[in-house]
Amino acid sequence: MKKIIFPLLLGIFFLIVQTTWLTFPPIWRIRPDIVLILTLYVGLSSPPFSGGILVFLLGYLMDLFSGNGFGLYAFSRPFLFYCAQLFKDRIYLESFPSRSLFVFLFALAEGFILLILLKALNPEHLPNLYPLFFTVFLPQSFSTALLFSVLFSLLKKGSSLLYAQPGTGIGGKL
Amino acid sequence: MRIRDFLFRKYAIPTVVILLLLSALILVSLRVKERKGVAFMDGLLMEVCSPFQKGSTFVIKKIKGVCEGYLFLIHLRRENEELKKRMADLQRENDQMREMVLSHERLRKLLQFRETLSSTAIAAEVVGRDPSSWFKSVTINKGEKDGVRKGMAVISPEGVIGQILKTAPSHSVVLLITDYNSAIDSIIQRTRAKAIVKGGGENRCQLKYLLRAEDVVAGDRVVTSGLGGNFPKGLMIGEIREVDKKGHGIFQYAELAPSVDFTRLEEVLVIKESPPPPREEKGKKVKKTR
Repeated sequence: MKKIIFPLLLGIFFLIVQTTWLTFPPIWRIRPDIVLILTLYVGLSSPPFSGGILVFLLGYLMDLFSGNGFGLYAFSRPFLFYCAQLFKDRIYLESFPSRSLFVFLFALAEGFILLILLKALNPEHLPNLYPLFFTVFLPQSFSTALLFSVLFSLLKKGSSLLYAQPGTGIGGKL
Repeated sequence: MRIRDFLFRKYAIPTVVILLLLSALILVSLRVKERKGVAFMDGLLMEVCSPFQKGSTFVIKKIKGVCEGYLFLIHLRRENEELKKRMADLQRENDQMREMVLSHERLRKLLQFRETLSSTAIAAEVVGRDPSSWFKSVTINKGEKDGVRKGMAVISPEGVIGQILKTAPSHSVVLLITDYNSAIDSIIQRTRAKAIVKGGGENRCQLKYLLRAEDVVAGDRVVTSGLGGNFPKGLMIGEIREVDKKGHGIFQYAELAPSVDFTRLEEVLVIKESPPPPREEKGKKVKKTR
């Protein structure tokens, strides 16, 4: 149970930071999505069952505090989590550029998923969503990718200290 | 037993993946249908998390206060003298204004044929903002306990902010007018032309369904029409920045700069009751229906 509770509390903390500290000018436009960072870290280090539930809860919380009325993050975050699970043994994640590229691509992928879902679920035509991709979403994905490396190391250290199982990550074994 | 073994041992991971994604889709479907159970769950979780958000905002404000109060005190004396002079000027101006307001009040009372329209408003503090960049919303520290309900109008002295999207017992989420899902019935103050203000994302809005024949220019002020019941009539929404008469068609489009700076939003007012429609209009409606 603590394999879900501790990361969930960390996720709530990240969410609060994201909705308060990171929204103040001048960083609000390029604020990194730290909950996505945690989601991907959990995707790389946790088992599918506990990690999946955790990420689903984090997505649900994201939906609660956002103006999104559909609950899209509860879908997109578990989806990204399982994609990360699929690719975790196939990509090299020990260097800064490869980690950043990995997160950058995942952040963009989530952007596309949300864009498609928003277009599909909204009865009205939304003409100005595409420019947002370049003005807000691209800088945000970039800053998220840059921050991932730093947070990744911290989370790795933290989880190995917390669970006393170096290398097994946040969730450990199911 | 065999099915359980088959699902949870042999195909454990795909089963979990499918179950979670399916439950997320069910959640999306329930939200679209606006089922009560989901709203209750949302409210409960928001109630648990919002105090932390409030605490975090409190800490930020304290730090900001310390920085502004003690650390950035350069040229304080000179600034103080200037401010004293300015205060004296403003005081004089304020006295004159007060006189004007009092005379205006007396005249208004004499000339009024009907009672003044009034709305009950609740003051609330912004405790958090939207965690994503796709949507535009803020969390406020007033909820169902204070009488806040879904759909209520949220304003500030500068103008319209948005409307209540989700409620919890003591917190609510406000959908800003800049969000794509927001639409408000409005009129151009100068020409009284009707239009719909739609959210346009980054601190901007669009004016839609504005007839092509209407005279609209950059700088025109746009206010709420009072139709729809959520917003009282005459609240400032913003100023037209650019008018676009795209090719053909019966409508023209305009870009709107909201009067409120949403990046610096701290306190808001939630309007509990919408004012009743004016009596004359009521009378007209009755005649028409007859």
